[in-house]
Order: sequence, then C-alpha cells, then structure tokens
Amino acid sequence: MSPDSARRAEAAGYTKAKIFHDGLPAWKKAGNLIVSEPAALQDFIEKDIAHVLVDLRDGAAVKKGFIPGAVAIPANELLTAKDRFPADKSAPIVLYSDGVGSEAFKTVRSWGYKDTSVLNGGMAAWTKAGGKLETGTPGTVISYVPKPRPGEISIEEFKAIAERGSPGMLILDVRDTDEAMNGMLAGAINIPAGDMTKRLKDLPKDREIITYCNTGLRAESAYEDLKQAGYKVRFLNALIQIDRDGKYEITKK
Amino acid sequence: MVNRRLSLLTAITVLAMVLIASAGSSFAEKPTVLKPCVQCHQSEQDLVRGTLVSVTEKFKTINVQVGQKLVWIITYGDDLKITGADKLSAIPKDKEIGVRFTGDEKKPYAVSLTVKPPAKVAPEKLVSLDEMVKLVAEGPAKGNYLLVDSRPKPRYLEGHIPSALSLPTDKFDELKDTVLPSEKDKLVIFYCGGVT
Repeated sequence: MSPDSARRAEAAGYTKAKIFHDGLPAWKKAGNLIVSEPAALQDFIEKDIAHVLVDLRDGAAVKKGFIPGAVAIPANELLTAKDRFPADKSAPIVLYSDGVGSEAFKTVRSWGYKDTSVLNGGMAAWTKAGGKLETGTPGTVISYVPKPRPGEISIEEFKAIAERGSPGMLILDVRDTDEAMNGMLAGAINIPAGDMTKRLKDLPKDREIITYCNTGLRAESAYEDLKQAGYKVRFLNALIQIDRDGKYEITKK
Repeated sequence: MVNRRLSLLTAITVLAMVLIASAGSSFAEKPTVLKPCVQCHQSEQDLVRGTLVSVTEKFKTINVQVGQKLVWIITYGDDLKITGADKLSAIPKDKEIGVRFTGDEKKPYAVSLTVKPPAKVAPEKLVSLDEMVKLVAEGPAKGNYLLVDSRPKPRYLEGHIPSALSLPTDKFDELKDTVLPSEKDKLVIFYCGGVT
C-alpha cells in the first residue's frame, strides 16, 4: 500500500516522498511507542470487543471520572502489578493518563504484550472526542476473556466451506492481485480490499461472502466495507498460507 | 509449420495493404497506453499497455483494455513469450499487462507479454527504522516531516506510529489535499502494515 501511495504523491508533485517500508511490524517489534485513537477505544467499548483498559493516573484524578471499563493502576505502581495482567499476551491493552505514557508503555510492552497502545492525547482527547466518563470506584482486577471479533468466522467452519464448498456462500480473496496470482483457494474469487467499494456490483447479494487475506487484517477491512454496503459477510481472522496448487494452511493468531 | 508460414504471409500481405492504404496519414493513431500507466511508461508504437479483459482460447486472442471504450484485440500463437506468469490462464482479469506485437494496429500479433511485477522500491526512497525512530523522537515540527499511515482507517485508529496522519491508499485522491502539506518539497513518509 505505501509504495503505491508514495508514487501517487510523486505524481501529485511531491518531490520528497519516501517510504518506511519495514512499516508498522518492524516499528512494533523494536518496542517503539504505538498510539491508538479515542475512536478505536469507543469501538471496543460499544461493540464489546475484549480489551484491557488501564488508567494510570493517581487516585484523586481517577475519582473525578474515568473511562468506562478502566482498571486503575497508578503509573508508580505499575511495576508491581505485572501479575494482574492477563495470561494471553495478544490481548489488546490500552493505557491512558494525562501525559504521553511512554514509560508505562515500555513496561507493559516488555512483559510481552504485543498489542499495547497508549491513548493518543490521553484523557483530554477522550473528552474532546465526546467519550463518556464513569464516576465512582474503578475496578482494580483485570479480567480478560478473548472473544471473537464481530463478523469473525471460526477456522473450523472456514475450512469446511473451503473443502466442500457451499452453494449459498462465496469465498473472497481480498489480497492484491499479485498475491492472489501466486495461489488462491479453489473456488475463490479475487477482489483486492482496496478496490472493494468500487467493485460491489461484481458480488452477489444473495450469497454469504467470506473474506480472507494473509492475516485477517484486510479481510476485516473488506468485511466492514461489505457490511456497510448491505452484504451478508464474515471474515477469516487467522493467518493463512496458500501455495500455487491452492493447498493451504491456517494458523490461529 | 505450414500454417504459421501461411499466417505470416497473410500478415505481411495485410501489412503491405494497410501500409499502402494508410500512406500519407499518421501511423499510430490508436492509443497504446492506458492512462494510469503513463505515470511510469511512455507510449511505444509496438507495445500495448493496459489491463487484461480476457483471453479467447478459441480465436487465440488477448483482449487488452487501453481506454474506457478502447480494447486492443491481439492474436497470439504458441510462440508467445510470457513473463511474470506460468500461462495465460493464470493471469487474472484486470491485471496490468504489456503486449509487444508485430503487424500493425489493425491486425496485431503478440510476440511477448509481460505481467506487471509487484512494486519495487528504489533504495534512495526508503527510510530505515533507525531514521524513523529518530524523526519521530524529534517530532514533525523539528524533524520537518509528515508521516502518513496508508492502511485502512480502522487499523490506524487501533494503533499507529506517533505523529502519523491517516490517508488510506484507496482514499488517496479523495483526501490528499486535506492531509498532505501544501509545500511540495516537504519530506513526506508513507508506511503501511508490511505483509497483511
């Protein structure tokens, strides 16, 4: 995606368009700060997507109001709270305070939680975005029960459809055409996720569409586009590798 | 073999006839390049660049879209050289291809076909992780850069590099004027999710 954007920027006259090609995976792997936006946290709360939300402020500030579902762990006590964090290291963890929170991020990240982020702009940004506040006493115990994301199809069901096919269903490969050319699931059709909204007319409304990519990220983005356009759709939220003969292997994330 | 010699003969005859018929008028009137391809490719007289519409096995033709209502119909034989795909049937519809041909625009015969390879990036356009870390630590004002996240908006919201702005690749044209700086010589860095 980024090389394509850079090319378009050049075409629009930008003379110093560059690409950080290693992208987000390399940035994350090296343990650098990741920030998330209030809109994503609102989504977590509204859609009841499993996550861990930690309020790092001190007790007095928390009493005046905190983000719903937050667990209060003041920044200076964080180091002693390691045991309270979930066993599942892939749990999405959002930290917030009134500051940047990069120290707390480093701490939690160093415990192995890959999907940690700091709420961009902290409490001020949350309030500004119209986020609700809760008053009273926040919880101190972290409970994290992973749940499938909305629209997620189980790996077992996906495999059954991929093996035997299903007349009422359509498997949609949403990777780029270059990738799909190197191997696609039998019976699948390819429409890159980025082209989805432009190519809706190529898709049937009377069949359920199941999207997949390599990791579930683009599959979910296509799921969102299709759902919004009124299609019956689910997506595979897993790692999948497909060879030229259409043989595949699915791994849980 | 006889067949091929015959078709070659026919092609030459037709070519000669067309040449005579079109003498005095300009030669390449039919566009050979699809508009978006012009960004990187120049128009060439014997090379059609566009997107694949279809391959008709029965008539041995490759149909290439070069404009909204303009399709080149190019015949091919067993001697067609293909780069970037195993066989014609492996090339998906709408894929960007280039077809070099002999003969004229009325009766082109495909010599070779190239499938557009995945984008390669020139090394001088790359920003390393170390440089990225240094720039983000300085911030956009001091580092004099603009960082752009090319992934879909929901991915950006869930987590992004500090100081990045969201400009999904598929919304580029629509949103570029509100996100990209007015100074065209400013350092603009794009990133995405690598393999997704």
